[in-house]
Amino acid sequence: MRDATAPPETPAWLLRQPVALCPCGCIGKRQKASYLERTLTGGSDLMHQVMFSEDVARLPGVLQRLDPRVKLVGTMLLLVAVGLAHHITTLLAAYALVLGLAWWSRVALAFFIRRVWLFIPIFTAIVVLPAAFSVVNDGDVIVHLWTWNGEPEGLTSQGLFSAALIIMRVAVSVSLAVLLTITTPWGRLLNGLRGLGVPRLIVLTINMSYRYIFLLLEAVGDMYESRKSRQVRAVKHDAAARATVGASIGTLVGKCGHLAEEVHQAMVARGYRGEVHALDATKMAAIDRAAALTSVVLAAAILSGDRLLGG
Amino acid sequence: MHIPDGYLSPATCAVGYVAATPLWVVASRRVTRVVKSRNIPLLAIFSALSFIIMMFNVPIPDGTTAHAVGGVVIAIVLGPWAAVIAVSIALLFQALLFGDGGVLSFGVNAINMAVILPFVGYAVYRIAAGGAALTSRRRVVAGAVGGYVGINAAALAAAIELGLQPVLFKSASGVPLYVPYDLGKTIPAMLLPHLTVAGLCEAILTAAVLSYLQRADVQRLVPNHPGIPITAGDAAPRPSRLSPGKVALAVGIVLVILTPLGLLAPGGAFGEDAPGDLDLGALGLRAVPAGLEKYNGFWSHTLLGGYGFQSGDHANLAYILSAIVGIAVVMAVVFALGKVAQLLSAASGQEQIEAEPHA
Amino acid sequence: MAADPNDHDTLPADAPRGAVFVCRNLQYAYLDRFPALDGVSLDIMPGEMVALLGANGCGKSTLLKVLDGLIHPTSGTFHAFGELVTEEHLEDEQFNMGFRSRVGFVFQHSDAQVFSATVRDEVAFGCLQLGLGPAEASQRVDDMLAFMELESLADRAPFQLSGGQKKKVAIASVLVMNPEVLLFDEPTAALDPRTQSWLADLLSELNAAGKTIVHATHDLHVLEQIATRCLVFSEDHQIIRAATPEEILADHDLLLAANLVHQHPHTHTKTTGTITHSHVHPTTGHHE
Repeated sequence: MRDATAPPETPAWLLRQPVALCPCGCIGKRQKASYLERTLTGGSDLMHQVMFSEDVARLPGVLQRLDPRVKLVGTMLLLVAVGLAHHITTLLAAYALVLGLAWWSRVALAFFIRRVWLFIPIFTAIVVLPAAFSVVNDGDVIVHLWTWNGEPEGLTSQGLFSAALIIMRVAVSVSLAVLLTITTPWGRLLNGLRGLGVPRLIVLTINMSYRYIFLLLEAVGDMYESRKSRQVRAVKHDAAARATVGASIGTLVGKCGHLAEEVHQAMVARGYRGEVHALDATKMAAIDRAAALTSVVLAAAILSGDRLLGG
Repeated sequence: MHIPDGYLSPATCAVGYVAATPLWVVASRRVTRVVKSRNIPLLAIFSALSFIIMMFNVPIPDGTTAHAVGGVVIAIVLGPWAAVIAVSIALLFQALLFGDGGVLSFGVNAINMAVILPFVGYAVYRIAAGGAALTSRRRVVAGAVGGYVGINAAALAAAIELGLQPVLFKSASGVPLYVPYDLGKTIPAMLLPHLTVAGLCEAILTAAVLSYLQRADVQRLVPNHPGIPITAGDAAPRPSRLSPGKVALAVGIVLVILTPLGLLAPGGAFGEDAPGDLDLGALGLRAVPAGLEKYNGFWSHTLLGGYGFQSGDHANLAYILSAIVGIAVVMAVVFALGKVAQLLSAASGQEQIEAEPHA
Repeated sequence: MAADPNDHDTLPADAPRGAVFVCRNLQYAYLDRFPALDGVSLDIMPGEMVALLGANGCGKSTLLKVLDGLIHPTSGTFHAFGELVTEEHLEDEQFNMGFRSRVGFVFQHSDAQVFSATVRDEVAFGCLQLGLGPAEASQRVDDMLAFMELESLADRAPFQLSGGQKKKVAIASVLVMNPEVLLFDEPTAALDPRTQSWLADLLSELNAAGKTIVHATHDLHVLEQIATRCLVFSEDHQIIRAATPEEILADHDLLLAANLVHQHPHTHTKTTGTITHSHVHPTTGHHE
């Protein structure tokens, strides 16, 4: 048996003069971002977004001061009103309204517009534009692109109208949702959900999930970075790469289980037995009541304005 | 597969919430009742895991990426009701943190990815795995198949929801107000990438996680698989649970759901035209043949005439309804006949047994 | 009436009067395969500061979890405050409440312990679970945040904090329940030197106020400040020595055997040449 105090023998190749694995000793070429990079940067982007949102939520704007319950219900009301609008003019007016609210809440407009339009409305445009072609849906061709069997084919007025309508609607809806989330710190948003009747247990679970997304992201980042630092050649999108992803997820599942046990023990140690008690939600102030009323009025205005514009 | 706000009418979104809310209530009750309080941290972490999985870009050959959901894996480890909650929470985060999937359409997205996906996938897994040991390869394959079918079922549901929009919600001039593609376009458009890329991702993910758990931590699978031996040597060989009845049921359900596909076909079936639809000129006739005219409409006491509602609306729904009603009626009749046959043979067999002396 | 030796509910005959924790012959194995405790017996008296010493994997954390009723030994008995502690006994709400409010546990990894949305919610969790009304709980939370200098972080999410701040939040969330006994698992691990010394001061202060402290550590640096008695674990999951810190630190062979110190070749370079020899690094008085 080896002497317990003697360290194991150091391998000989570790002690030789280091030679770069590429014999010419160059640094290497730049490659297109591999899936490793994309997963890593996706994770850090997410973190950055959320960090940023906490900053906006701390600014002294008008929306930040409101009770989260009012904001949640108000947002839903406005989303429904926007969803029921039939005219692009209504949607443009609603978008102007949202931009005004954003400005009033000290949100940088350039950032806000970029955050909303990149990526969902543009993606919607790509998805929906083919429907504007007369080969897809029949209609009155107003942009004549080519002729087929004597019939003019191209972009139809109905198709373009429909596309514009949905793109605008998507943009306004996403703007409303983004406005809600960047002006409300996550904790207060969850308190709002609880105040609206979501069971406490679910809110606790959501709370903890939020927390563990970041823990897991760190674990994923560590695993990938350690793999990346050992990656010499370009990453191939092949079976081995997919096996890595499978193994990473498997390891994550294992870690999940152990972490869950520790967390449960920590909760039990402080008296948890299945019932969750929490500090009460804050009371509604006058400004909250005013905001609630305003959102109802605005939603009604949007709807009636839409109806006035025609059937 | 996440549907953003603006694609679906508020009415559809409302239906989504109305359908999802009782399911959420049932799920949270069942989950907290089963294993004391231990489930909450586990659920939270699996929900975070689902979120991360939806973020994991899996490489596909040409250098681009696609992603899975993970709902079937969670259903296999924790049960389908737990998967409902875990995936719903992950979707909530995606909607609020990433803007991926809308706030109004959250209910519909939850129905697709948090209800249909885990339940269908789990059912297929259970049928395919049968009583195989927890460490057997068959379970891994069953998980993969379950994942594949589950995500495609969810995609089909999403396609139907999207495709119904231009049919149901049009402006006065007939222009679609929401998604401008009808069923004939949404179903192939959604199913193709899911039958190929995303379905494979989900299958591979489920298989990979299951085989990892089999090797590293098989105890974690035990709570949701009561009575299943851990290794093949642990129990005497049992007859396969994949009975013909169960397979037939599964196939039947799939076929019922697929019946409206026939509506996509432009023309009718050959030789089944009603007299009024006959193109007399092309056939070289001057009037409808006398016999056809006389006997057509012979039997007019129908419940769902022509597989559809009276008004002709909601043809797809009517098709599925017809299929279910038809299957139920046929099964009832066959069952009744079987029972009668059984009674008759029992009566005659009894006489035979009494006639033979005991050995 | 003589105590029946088979009646596990009564304290063992050799238990000292007034002992807070009495353990006899604890056995525990993870997943029924990996042994963690192999016949461990000990007594903890009120007001003591006991350090559990041993290398990683020797069973210290497992013992702490048994002492907090989070896991239960496969054999052996554990009495707390004179009552037997078992899984069934903890099912009783009153017993559980009494036990949990008198014993607090600070985990090694703060990440597992801080799970609420804000620091304020985290600190309030324990009080509310024990049934304090929201007003009184709020008051206690404010007092504790002031005491631990966490007021500026009250509305932040705990997981966004640095390691030292998270540890403070974890400790605050346990202290707010005002337990009689505090259990710490590797309290100084992963902390920077200034926070380590702050923590050592805090432990001394709490002990001076009458709290019993049991902590598991393999960090010998601050041992004399934060321990009145040390129990050394061997790598075979048993206790091999119980003594004062000074005695333990002087016993080099014991420290080596328990893998608490290492021995390595050490070179002195002088004008006449180099001398290489082996010796053990004790932590105190090495460079005098």
